[in-house]
Amino acid sequence: MTVAVTKTEAERALKSQFEAKFDALPGNEWVRGLRREAFAEFDREGLPTRRNEPFKYTDLRALIREVAEFSETGNMPVSETDLYDVLGVDLDELDAYRIVIIDGRFNRELSHFDRAAGLEVMPLQEVLDAPPDWFRAEFGKVNPPPGSNPVLALNTAFMTDGAVIRVAEKAVIDKPVHLISVTGSTQKIAIAHRNFVTVGAGAKITLLETYAYRRMPFAQRNAATEMIVGDGAEVHHLKYQNEGVDALHLSTWMTRIGARAKYNAFQFALGGGLARSQIYARFAGEGAQADISGAMMQFGRQHCDLTMLVDHAVPHCTSRELFKAVLDDEARGIFQGKILVRPHAQKTDAKEMARALLLSPRAEFDAKPELEIYADDVACGHGATSGEIDENMLFYLRSRGIPEDLAKTMLITAFIDEAIDLIEDEAIREAFKKISCGWLGCR
Amino acid sequence: MLEIKNLHARIEEDGTEVLRGVDLTVPTGEVHAIMGPNGSGKSTLSYVLAGRDGYEVTEGSVTWNGVDLLELEPDERAAAGVFLAFQYPMEIPGVATMTFLRAAMNAQRKARGEEELKTPEFMKIVKAAAEKLKVRPELLKRPLNVGFSGGEKKRMEILQMSLLEPGLCILDETDSGLDIDALRIVAEGVNMLRGPARSMIVITHYQRLLNYIVPDRVHVLSKGRIVRSGGKELAEELEQSGYRDFGEEAA
Ligand SMILES: Nc1ncnc2c1ncn2[C@@H]1O[C@H](COP(=O)(O)OP(=O)(O)OP(=O)(O)O)[C@@H](O)[C@H]1O
Ligand SMILES: [Mg+2]
Repeated sequence: MTVAVTKTEAERALKSQFEAKFDALPGNEWVRGLRREAFAEFDREGLPTRRNEPFKYTDLRALIREVAEFSETGNMPVSETDLYDVLGVDLDELDAYRIVIIDGRFNRELSHFDRAAGLEVMPLQEVLDAPPDWFRAEFGKVNPPPGSNPVLALNTAFMTDGAVIRVAEKAVIDKPVHLISVTGSTQKIAIAHRNFVTVGAGAKITLLETYAYRRMPFAQRNAATEMIVGDGAEVHHLKYQNEGVDALHLSTWMTRIGARAKYNAFQFALGGGLARSQIYARFAGEGAQADISGAMMQFGRQHCDLTMLVDHAVPHCTSRELFKAVLDDEARGIFQGKILVRPHAQKTDAKEMARALLLSPRAEFDAKPELEIYADDVACGHGATSGEIDENMLFYLRSRGIPEDLAKTMLITAFIDEAIDLIEDEAIREAFKKISCGWLGCR
Repeated sequence: MLEIKNLHARIEEDGTEVLRGVDLTVPTGEVHAIMGPNGSGKSTLSYVLAGRDGYEVTEGSVTWNGVDLLELEPDERAAAGVFLAFQYPMEIPGVATMTFLRAAMNAQRKARGEEELKTPEFMKIVKAAAEKLKVRPELLKRPLNVGFSGGEKKRMEILQMSLLEPGLCILDETDSGLDIDALRIVAEGVNMLRGPARSMIVITHYQRLLNYIVPDRVHVLSKGRIVRSGGKELAEELEQSGYRDFGEEAA
């Protein structure tokens, strides 16, 4: 790894802001220690360049020119009606418990989850101020990325708030939990927030994280979610990213999956000018299965990077990954997915596939699927493809009288739905399909 | 009436001239068969009529009821009544057969200024047509043509044809891949569409199909030209003698 000799303007701004805001950030002495450590880690390397392998296609040092002011609160409130506008009818009508984060702050008024049996929700800020033992034991350690990760380090250094969610053992949460993070400020602000989720043994929950904006499309967000999936638990973990077209979206998911658990993750990325999503998932107990998939639909000059590491640290686990990208105009989609099979992880069954559909000759897809296997009795596979709409299929549809635009839409929908269909929750699946249709319609 | 005059077409990619002056007139209400050796240009002719990309028409004209077909996009040709039953129908993963049928039927209705079909009506029409052609209901629930057997794909083509009720039907080797019973069923389906307002071109290698779908005329296409035309007896004659007389090597 290289050490940047001179700091960029963005790096200098981050440092001076960290020093200026440090005292006002929440947390007891232990948390303050974590923040200092994290910032020192960031400061050593600075923003990652393309020479830093995991950032090969997303050179944040070159791409992040300036850093907005980290906000304590946005300058404009966000109302229930605003949320409707943000979510659109399909997601707004989703029958779900709601946790709402506005400009990085937990918002009690817009949240409602009190009647969910077995579900405990707290603002992160309160937990940071007086962290209980169970939190101290795990926070930041659930499944950290290997080596230093500047995106996560910045999150730890600057995090203001977020949701701490605990699902009791064997509890079955009867409705999806919708964690909605919205920026509403009309000023260009930077925010960092963090969620911490523990799902007890044998429990079941569907958690949808939505990231969106209300007024101005240019916020800079750094969000992270740590999640412990207990033994035998079943978790459906989804993300809908619909930030503004000039927004910076940095996101990190760190998940540890217990024995015999089922972890189904899906990330749907539409927004953001520059989006980098990192997924780290690790099997910590035998007999578990994970399906980590996603879809991205990008146009204009959007840049969307999805980087994933699935760590088969124990034997007898199964993982499946299917990522689909639809890229128009000059959009750039990136998929880096590594499956790591550690020496003892025999009988691992892991398969990943990434496919892109390019709607324009200037769109670009970079894929780097990787297998790193240290066990000998495993079944692993990976692949990546990218191509245009199949001319023969298009002609077939048109020869039946279907106009070109509709025929294309049908083929793109078929392509993206192969991924969306992996979502088990019917209401969320159908909402995502409608969102994808909407994207195709107004492209 | 379909009128093809001195049609020359070449493959855009490499410039090979495949159609080298095709002259063919199919009056409304008639069924014409086109036979000819492999590679003589039969499928190319059907693609040029349907408007597939990749061919360049260098000379000649094609009119259908006075409309210049070559000026139209493939979907406009379909709306004008042209239907090609493909020699090799495409598999389209992820597009449900019913969704496709509905989109096709409604698109053509819309192009003709008619109202879209309501769901129950659409279901009824498809079900009835599928029963007649012995298309298993399970097939309709699958993605279009995906994993269908060769014969099932051909039946699906004829099902589409009977739903879309085109004025000009072009059947490119619909008989190949069909078992004996299926051949009869499909031929019956085609015969049901035969009528005074409809023209058909039936491309085939075998006399057998023409026993079921009796043509008004039979043409031989060789090296991109119609080299002989005659009545239905011509097909029988070809069955005996092959294409020797047209300067083609016997296989
Ligand atoms: N896209 C293409 N690129 C290159 N050559 C082509 C293309 N399409 C057709 N040809 C060539 O044009 C000639 C005519 O092909 P066509 O498919 O029309 O023959 P056909 O009469 O339908 O044969 P068959 O009886 O085998 O179906 C062949 O030599 C074929 O190889
Ligand atoms: Mg052919």
